[in-house]
Amino acid sequence: MARAPTFEELFDPEFLAALAQFSVRARRVPLGGRHADQASRQRGAGLEFADYKSYVPGDDLRAIDWNIYRRLGRLFVRVFEERRDLPVYLLVDRSRSMFLETPPRIRAGLQVALALGAIALAEHDSVALYSFSDALDSDTRAAAGSVGLARLAERLAAQHEQGGTALADAARALGDRRLRPGLLVVISDFFDAAGADAIAASLRESRHRLLLVQLAKAADADPGGRDDLTGDVRLRDCETDEAVDVTISPAVLTRYRQAYRAFTERLTELAGAKGAGLLRVDADADVLTQITPLFARGALAV
Amino acid sequence: MTFANLPLAAVLAGLAGLAALLYLLQRLRIRHTVVTVPTVLFWRAAARDAPVRVLRERFRHWLAYLLFLAICALLWFGFAAPEATPDGARHHVLFLDGSAHAASGDDFARAVAALKTDLRTLPTERREVVWGGVHNVKLLAAGEDRLLLDRRLADLAPEAAPSALRDQLRLVSIPNGWPEQVEFVIYGRAPVDAAALADVRPGVRVSRGLEYSAPALNQGIVALGLAGAASGQWERVDALVRVAASETPAELDAPLVQLDDQPWPGTPERVGEGLLLRDLPAVGQLLTVELPAGNDLTLDDHARVRLPQRRLLGVAVAPEVPSVIGEAIDADPGLRHAVDDAAVAVRLAGTDFGGELPALELAPMAAQEASFRVVYAGGEGAADAGRRLGHAVALLGLDQIDATGLATALQRPVTLAVESGKRPAVSLWAALLDEGFNFTADRGFPLFLARTLRHLAGERAWPRFLAAGTPVQDGAAGWSSDATPALDAVGARYVPAPGNPRQGDWAVSLLSEEVTARQAGAALPLYQRGGAGTAAAGIATWIALAAIALLALEWVLFRRGLVP
Repeated sequence: MARAPTFEELFDPEFLAALAQFSVRARRVPLGGRHADQASRQRGAGLEFADYKSYVPGDDLRAIDWNIYRRLGRLFVRVFEERRDLPVYLLVDRSRSMFLETPPRIRAGLQVALALGAIALAEHDSVALYSFSDALDSDTRAAAGSVGLARLAERLAAQHEQGGTALADAARALGDRRLRPGLLVVISDFFDAAGADAIAASLRESRHRLLLVQLAKAADADPGGRDDLTGDVRLRDCETDEAVDVTISPAVLTRYRQAYRAFTERLTELAGAKGAGLLRVDADADVLTQITPLFARGALAV
Repeated sequence: MTFANLPLAAVLAGLAGLAALLYLLQRLRIRHTVVTVPTVLFWRAAARDAPVRVLRERFRHWLAYLLFLAICALLWFGFAAPEATPDGARHHVLFLDGSAHAASGDDFARAVAALKTDLRTLPTERREVVWGGVHNVKLLAAGEDRLLLDRRLADLAPEAAPSALRDQLRLVSIPNGWPEQVEFVIYGRAPVDAAALADVRPGVRVSRGLEYSAPALNQGIVALGLAGAASGQWERVDALVRVAASETPAELDAPLVQLDDQPWPGTPERVGEGLLLRDLPAVGQLLTVELPAGNDLTLDDHARVRLPQRRLLGVAVAPEVPSVIGEAIDADPGLRHAVDDAAVAVRLAGTDFGGELPALELAPMAAQEASFRVVYAGGEGAADAGRRLGHAVALLGLDQIDATGLATALQRPVTLAVESGKRPAVSLWAALLDEGFNFTADRGFPLFLARTLRHLAGERAWPRFLAAGTPVQDGAAGWSSDATPALDAVGARYVPAPGNPRQGDWAVSLLSEEVTARQAGAALPLYQRGGAGTAAAGIATWIALAAIALLALEWVLFRRGLVP
């Protein structure tokens, strides 16, 4: 098993600096939360003028528009849009499959998590990190600001392999926590033994906006190029230890490709149905290059 | 169908073995390579329709098995090298001529090179190499590795012998002793006459492995004749050297003549086709005649013969012996009267004149049943006595006398008895020497007396004519007998080869006229190379193409997932 990148490897200033051009823009953030930069439905003390309303006792006298009073003889107060934060929940897969190959998928997964976390923190949004394997691990407190970024990087660097992939269960457990609606970023290879349908079912119940980050390798879609996959092989699942005996042949490889294609199509359908984003990241390639298309004109709209 | 490399039984056994082995391999449990993967989700789905092979499970892939078996069988057939045509199945007898015919220039080296080249193209089980020298010897048997041939050829060179090709052709024509179809290839100039070819059985095809140009001029000694000297000197002989040539030579150069390796001072005379050497001393020297070099063959340029020993025979004649004996001795130039140094005696039977000397005795008719009685030294059986009886008739010249007239005069049959005794002796009725019986007046009487006395003195006969293929004739009676066997075709039995002791006193070296005259014999077709090889190669090519086609088919089926 490979290891996760260290804090020093993860907290790369150049990588973080390159992220400064990106932002996450929520169309509307839910009520509550902290003052921040995301547009919200909440009216109150802000800088952006939103509307007028009739004065009622208790309103701030400084908000009365005296010009309207002089013209109409009635008291109206100006109301402003309040800017709130977007809660970002990073749900990172740390099952054994994420640590298996070289380079391990977890490396790209943590880089994506850090990147999205850094972008959110730069917008003064709150970022919470959750990891899962056989179950959802204990949550970490939401953090904000540059201090939060360092803490997020430390938490990410501390991830280690554990158990199998139970994404459906983890998503359901996360939903049960009744968290403030926000952006749920699922970073995983999605190799849940329960299957793609179970994942789709659990994520469909989520109250959060979804961004699915699928960590993949070229050999996932076409294992024909692997030198070790020839002749009669016993394929052992690194998470469940389940063994499947296969005589590798063009026909078997064809059927494998068909199965994998069906899996990815299922994920695409899920993202489409939820209006979610789906980002496929090649774990062997540069992460920054691959997440750039996600931010059209510099911003990811959620 | 036959196979060049393997017998049919081995091919079939191998095929059955292959089928069994492949069947077993199909059923054997697979030893898997364990590969750890992130997930087996998709592999499980992929493998659902293609389960792996396990031992003792239902045999699933009959068509795949048969296809693979067909490929292996084709490759196996290719190795066995099938031969479909009769030509391919022919047994090849490669006859390397080691006779004197091959001693010309580089003929022998060329023949060996061509034979080796052809040997490489022939199936091991269907060829053999025969050396045709003095005797035919199998150099390489069928099935033997051709590398053995080099070692066996190392010490071989053309021998002073005519070709034994005719014998070998007779041998391969024996039914049931050889394969039905035989290709007999001759490497060398050895001629085959039309009669020998006509006797070859159907199924044997005779050809020549090399094409030869016409031979160069050759001349050689083919016969030697010895006779008493025409000059009348008893202790000298004349020798006739007969020379033959492949074509008329411009001029016969003077030969080198030696007696016991010393030059003979005389001068040969040209007589007809040969040379006459007059008045050679008959003292048992070795006569060597050698023609000048410069013609095609050197093996026939010399001949040797041991000259006879002729001496005046001393005869002691008892006083009571009739005078006709003494007169006959006086008349014979090879006999003389002697007393002290006599080698043989003539006496009356029952007297001791001459002591232990072998004697011609005159016996009374009452004391001796047979007219002539010959005693040989040493005891011998009855069969040998019979042979001796016939021998004695010619040996003593009794076949030259008028036995009928003598019997009429005697009123008794004239008989001959042969016995064994301590020392050789001849006795006859003394009455035969009476004038009334006319024996002494018979022209055979001096011959009888001379031969009898020389026989008793132990003188040996000497050859009068020596030629390859001709029976040896002694000088005493001009007849052949078991005791003087014929020279073989070249006199090889008597040829003093270098390093070998001389065999017999009649050591000669004569090639047959057939060799010396460089006779070409009947025309033979040139060996058609590649007949068997091409046929086998053609089949092998088709087999290879079929195997490749089936392999391609298997690849396509494998790619489409139709075979495991």
